[in-house]
Amino acid sequence: MTTLFINDEEVTVSAGTSILEACREHGADVPYFCYHPELSVAANCRMCLVEVEGWNKPAASCCTPVGEGMKVTTHSESLAKDREMMMEYLLINHPLDCPVCDQGGSCKLQDYTVEHGAKHGRYSEVKRAVVDHDLGPFVSTCMTRCIHCTRCVRFADEVAGTGDMGVLNRADHMRIEGIVEDALESELSGNLADVCPVGALLDKPSHDVARPWEMTRHKSTCTQCPQGCDIVIESRGDKVIRIKPDKDGVEPWICDRGRYVHDAFRADQRIVAPAVREKSGLVNVSWDEAIQASVDVLKDKRVGIIFSPDWSVEGLASIRLLHDSVFKDAKVAFDLHRRDMREFAFEEGFSMSSAQIVAADQVVILGSDLRQRLPILMQGLRKRGNEGKPVTRIGAMNYRTNSDLSADALIRPREWVAVIARAMQQLKDLGKTAAGMDAWLEKVEERHEAGKLLADALLADSCALLVGEEIRSHSDASALIHGLDLMMRASGHAEAGADGRNLIPEGMNAQLLSAVFGDIRVSAGDLLDAASDGELDALVLIGSDPMGDGLFSMQAKRAMGKVPLVQIGAIAGQTSEFANVMLPAAAYSEVEGTFINMEGRIRMAEHPLRSLGEERPLWKVMMRLVQAFGEEIPVVNLTELRARIESFLPEVSGVWDDDVTDDECLLVARNRDANSMPNAIEPAMSLDVVSRYSMYREGMWVRASSYLVEAGDIHALDDLLVHPNTLKDAGLSAGECKVRTTSGDYDYHIGVREDVAEGVLFISKRGVAGDLSCEVMASLEGGQ
Amino acid sequence: MISSDPKQVKAICFDRIHLEGQTGLEVARKNGAYKFLPTVLKDFDSDHIVDEVKKSGLRGRGGAGFPTGLKWSFVPRNTGKPTYLLCNADEGEPGTFKDRDIMRFDPHLLIEGMIMAGFALGVKDAYIYIRGEFLHEANVMDAAIDEAYAANLLGENILGTDFSMNLTVHRGAGAYICGEETALIESLEGRPGRPRFKPPFPAVEGFYRCPTVVNNVETLATVPAILEFGGDWHAEIGVPNNTGMKIFSVSGHVNKPGNYEVPMGTSLKVLIEEYCGGLQHGTVPKVIIPGGSSTPWLTAEHYDTPLTYDAMMKAGSMLGSGAIIVMDETADLIALTRRLAHFYAHESCGQCTPCREGTGWLERTMNRVEAGQGCKKDVEVLNDAAEHMAGRTICALADGASAPILSLLKHFPEIVEERLMENAE
Repeated sequence: MTTLFINDEEVTVSAGTSILEACREHGADVPYFCYHPELSVAANCRMCLVEVEGWNKPAASCCTPVGEGMKVTTHSESLAKDREMMMEYLLINHPLDCPVCDQGGSCKLQDYTVEHGAKHGRYSEVKRAVVDHDLGPFVSTCMTRCIHCTRCVRFADEVAGTGDMGVLNRADHMRIEGIVEDALESELSGNLADVCPVGALLDKPSHDVARPWEMTRHKSTCTQCPQGCDIVIESRGDKVIRIKPDKDGVEPWICDRGRYVHDAFRADQRIVAPAVREKSGLVNVSWDEAIQASVDVLKDKRVGIIFSPDWSVEGLASIRLLHDSVFKDAKVAFDLHRRDMREFAFEEGFSMSSAQIVAADQVVILGSDLRQRLPILMQGLRKRGNEGKPVTRIGAMNYRTNSDLSADALIRPREWVAVIARAMQQLKDLGKTAAGMDAWLEKVEERHEAGKLLADALLADSCALLVGEEIRSHSDASALIHGLDLMMRASGHAEAGADGRNLIPEGMNAQLLSAVFGDIRVSAGDLLDAASDGELDALVLIGSDPMGDGLFSMQAKRAMGKVPLVQIGAIAGQTSEFANVMLPAAAYSEVEGTFINMEGRIRMAEHPLRSLGEERPLWKVMMRLVQAFGEEIPVVNLTELRARIESFLPEVSGVWDDDVTDDECLLVARNRDANSMPNAIEPAMSLDVVSRYSMYREGMWVRASSYLVEAGDIHALDDLLVHPNTLKDAGLSAGECKVRTTSGDYDYHIGVREDVAEGVLFISKRGVAGDLSCEVMASLEGGQ
Repeated sequence: MISSDPKQVKAICFDRIHLEGQTGLEVARKNGAYKFLPTVLKDFDSDHIVDEVKKSGLRGRGGAGFPTGLKWSFVPRNTGKPTYLLCNADEGEPGTFKDRDIMRFDPHLLIEGMIMAGFALGVKDAYIYIRGEFLHEANVMDAAIDEAYAANLLGENILGTDFSMNLTVHRGAGAYICGEETALIESLEGRPGRPRFKPPFPAVEGFYRCPTVVNNVETLATVPAILEFGGDWHAEIGVPNNTGMKIFSVSGHVNKPGNYEVPMGTSLKVLIEEYCGGLQHGTVPKVIIPGGSSTPWLTAEHYDTPLTYDAMMKAGSMLGSGAIIVMDETADLIALTRRLAHFYAHESCGQCTPCREGTGWLERTMNRVEAGQGCKKDVEVLNDAAEHMAGRTICALADGASAPILSLLKHFPEIVEERLMENAE
């Protein structure tokens, strides 16, 4: 620790802290442009000058470390003159266009001009004008306003890892340039507008739309991925203008998916009124009529319920209450990616916080495109990589991470058992064992060398395992996860406080879902097949779109139309054309509710936006249905509902009474008895099918957002990809090919990429080649 | 050195510069090059060499005048990282042309100095970052280095010892700022030459974030003589705290401009009148820029100032790189200042606000003042804009850019006043 004096006040900070950070910690106001707590120090704006006693010139506080006994002055006549001059230097080439600039009202340059600047400028020479560039759908530029603080350049290098912003030229010809083809490559590109302290980089979708002071800010939770970032929704009236990361939130950034999905809040696909299908199509009716129609469709029927995990905790619990009151025998599904419904040794959700993962000695990503799936966690791993800490990855595709991985192995799904067996063998040989390991090992003959990477990482003091969709959706997932669990136990990563088992869930609220629906959940694929096969009489879809999302679109297409459908939700997906009844439920931005993210962090949304039409919170819709079926309503208000939730999941007790803090995270459930053994697979076909989660395509909200659709088109890969050797082995070349599966033959355009594991048929666009994603294996035949 | 008798030494860096064929290894060796190197590599150890250099009182000849031995002693040992030695041969300061003569006439002196310095610092890889415009000098250095490799003076196991060192010439691309040591490091790493803030200092985190020593050509070329004749011998030349000899590049209104290596402490007047054949017009100079264009001006009243770091500092300027630009009464000081303002506006790296915006502002204002279109407000602007650049930036370029303007306004306000629009005839 270092003790110093800031404006005569004695303060103690950790050694190596910069003067600026010491001042920030202790409330001494020092102006700055280029400094950013999440970025490296550039020390170029020279706004943060302070005086240090005994030094003959002012010091840039951002890059000067504190010294013992240092006497720092942050305000003096001479500093005031320096700051006035810095403002004058900055303003000589800055346009006087604040009245038409989006940043006006939330601009550091504007604020500091008022606070530190001279009354008028003295510059009477020609001013600089700079050419703008097209950075794609999310960021618009007005580079004449740039003050060259290089925050955006450092963001692109250090946070995004894409390096697609740079500095060209020197002196006052210096300019910030986007080095882009169609768009910035990063999935975090929207943060650039936040990072820019002036109006040079602006949010394109909200460009020229609203002024900062016209907007109302609603704190909320993003449900676009299991990360559940803290967000602030900015609206003018009821119209959402933009979404930003919550300054007081856990993470400093949000991804483009969470940020730009907001135009879907007002998309045509929104369900804003109850509707019933007549001969002419869906016709808006009153709530009473629609509820009655639902009862008519569902009364005394064998019903299947598929819902989205992204509803609020209250909404999800009310689905269970509806089930228990009205559809006691109904099966439910909420996971559109899981084939193997045997118990997992560790349930979905994270045992560690993101911060713990980033700080762990070793991190292993197993079968996940983490940059798309959990962009913010991936950013943490990138930061960790920048510090030289290892990140290992094993999977079917060399997914782009925009950072260096310390070890990377490409394997095909059928090799997972051999990979785990290889790792387990290594642990066993080192004397690290767990009960059940021998039995598991005996089932597997092959060993795959990629397992060495896994075992080596497991030998570290702390190891975070990030288990992704390639394993979760594997047909033998339970055995694989059991194998991983055995190894985690054997290597000491399963104890409380040092638990490294993290299974990336389908969506939000995983911990609640295991507790509330564990006993009645089935695979969505099986449930849809049951509908097709006449084992069910009706389907209820609650905010889920199995035709557009996940692995089972073929089963969904088969089932739709076979049985009547009641669709409840905020937004209509591809299934809506089959809906007999539609009931509008309020979107996540429009409810007062609770959300649990993958880490088990609990968040409350308290100041929702007003709904567009006749939407009701989901729990009210559920209770209304219970009532219409003539059953007793289990809860009549949020307080009662929450009390019921506490009985499902006692860990949440009290969260609605107290302020929740970040370190209170729900634990992930474990199934100690789960002991699935690997099945001996007789591969029927030569290729393994792996489909990719795309952050720009997956999810009804995303597909309804024109911004994200545009970005998805820009970042798209070929529909189907294989490794060149895979084609060579089949004696084929890239182009039109026939894909043979157990369910039939399809013609597709095949692209080639060395990033795909050999023997894998990689579906990069689920939406396009969606029907193939339900397949586990396939083979390629020649084209026409 | 040519003579083995220290008393016979008339010049240190320029000892052999006049000798025919000195760039070739054979001739150079005949004239004494590498004569003492085996002794250094076999009998001296690192601490001894650093001590001798400390004892010699040698101060960096590139401009800042930082004690060389002390700089070397800051390099942390046993960090597990390599230590690099970089020779700053990016001689770009307007008025300076001394290093160029060492390199083109006696390249082996520099190589020998670098081997010795590299040996003292445990260096495996050393680089000469040479100014891009010095194509001929780079070719001479390259040829000399090739010969030195062939003679086992560089490369593996130099002269049969355990010491191995590679030496590579890297040409700059014409940026003045790359003479600043941290910009030089950035440039050598392959990035745009933009100075880094300090700390960390290069001695701890320099080239590729490894311990690095950056020394000027003249500094390194002085090392062989110090080791051969001893630090004490060097310390006796010149005056206390400003020891040894220094090359002065004299230009401007003198009769015999050129490079002169003289003992430190020789007065400005003696240098100009006895060595350089006096002024072209008149008897006292109007302006002397003593250490390259970035240093504040001196006027006639400081004509007798001894050429030492300390005396120049006391006189309100700096010895800098020893580039003395002499202006007699015929000089148009406004044109001079305007031209220098243009130079700095062109060469600013653009990183820091005051320098990026200020240098251009100064240039544009000076353009008007020179054209007789200035006004009183411009004088105030020039003063303010120049004054608040200096000492507020990462490197000293802004200080250099403000020096001519502030000097002009301080010493010759009446000349500026006369040229203003209101006062023009």
